[in-house]
Amino acid sequence: MKHLKPANAKAQQFTEAAKDGREEEVVAMTSLVGCTTSFDPGWEVDAFGGVAALCQPMEADLYGCADPCWWPAQVADTLNTYPDWNADAPAAQTDWRKLNQVFPEDKG
Amino acid sequence: MRTLTRSAIAAAVAAGLGLSAVPALAKDYILTAVKPNKLLVVDPDAMAIDKIIEIENGGPAPLTLIPTEDGTRAYALVNRWESIVAVDLETGEETMRIDLSDKDTRVKAMFGVDLSPDESTLAVYESPVEILAGEMQVQPTRISFYDAETGELKGRTEAPRQITLLMYNADGSKLYGLGRAVHIFDGQTGEKIGEHATQTWERANYSQPDILDVWSQWETANVLSTPYYAARTDMDPMNPEAYWTGILTLDLETGEFRMKDVENTDIFYFSTAVSPTDKDIVYGAYTQLSKFDVGEGKPLKRVELPHSYYSINVSSDGSKVFVGGAMGDIAVYDAETLDMIGQIPMPGGANMSLATMRVFQRDE
Repeated sequence: MKHLKPANAKAQQFTEAAKDGREEEVVAMTSLVGCTTSFDPGWEVDAFGGVAALCQPMEADLYGCADPCWWPAQVADTLNTYPDWNADAPAAQTDWRKLNQVFPEDKG
Repeated sequence: MRTLTRSAIAAAVAAGLGLSAVPALAKDYILTAVKPNKLLVVDPDAMAIDKIIEIENGGPAPLTLIPTEDGTRAYALVNRWESIVAVDLETGEETMRIDLSDKDTRVKAMFGVDLSPDESTLAVYESPVEILAGEMQVQPTRISFYDAETGELKGRTEAPRQITLLMYNADGSKLYGLGRAVHIFDGQTGEKIGEHATQTWERANYSQPDILDVWSQWETANVLSTPYYAARTDMDPMNPEAYWTGILTLDLETGEFRMKDVENTDIFYFSTAVSPTDKDIVYGAYTQLSKFDVGEGKPLKRVELPHSYYSINVSSDGSKVFVGGAMGDIAVYDAETLDMIGQIPMPGGANMSLATMRVFQRDE
């Protein structure tokens, strides 16, 4: 391995795991990975094709869907990766301006 | 409800003896939670918050809550749903903490937690994921039994996936799990001993029923209830009358299981609760509040709510309906007329989100 230099995060993991004899644990991803098993698209439409049966107002539903990772893409994952995303915004209806976008941390 | 039975007996004895000085009777309180980490004891008669308890590492919000029978303690699912704490509701002190995860395995308890009727054991539905160097491996879901006093693990068994709620029957001999069926487990070992079919029901000319319920709120009637939605397969799918809303009920005292259509689906309900004074009467909430007779299979009344609410519960005497969850207030309604009695704002308007809203009693 001394002539090979890891070029991405997965290769870096493999290199580090090899030191502990755990390289068998580092495998290529074979499926999409998110924090959720739900592929619910989110707010767009209700089961009747309209919006009247969505939560009123939509802020009422924000944390009930975000916190259990019901929506995999639209909001940050507070259960695992971004636990403090809404920690300073306990009332969605008034605190929504405090909710910011998140970015993956640099894995080197 | 265990406490209702006790208070009802006390009232009956007092009346029967013609006592002018009625002994202490139990009074209703609501246990709920708001983001990011607060447990709340609410006095619905005073329409006020009675106590606020902050849970260390409680975020993003306490989820499933279980008060003890005497209302002095409660268990709460916290810490991104990887820990369960016991809290003294009078002093606010945390008396016990069970951390489900360790450095190699991340364990989430998504909603399903219940306390055995003798209050000795916590049953927890767990979803473990093994954290390896380069990937995470999903492990079999399981039910774990913990000593409710010490937090010690007493037993564990694999259980079907996609269970959201766990509930003991009245004598603790059975543990029910609401998932793609109503699974029936042995209350001591967790071994599966039967099920009531839901998704695999064999109802002619009906689609599979759709059920999703994450709110533990059956205690005043001791009957689990949840809405279901199904379509008639023998009708034109463009016909709105092909779509039906029903109520599933499971009596935790008798074991009676029912799935009864109640109305055409023109609106949704997130959750329902049964009246403790008439087990045929069920209330459902989301953006409307409705009252149903599940014995007759028909709606009785519907009113608009100020906004959407996830959870609903009924007072121990059956006279009031509480709706909560989602945003930052509990609304109180007259159970007979569905007229609003008032709204109890949560501190700072903090959202209750998915937190359960439990009714318990204390002697006054």
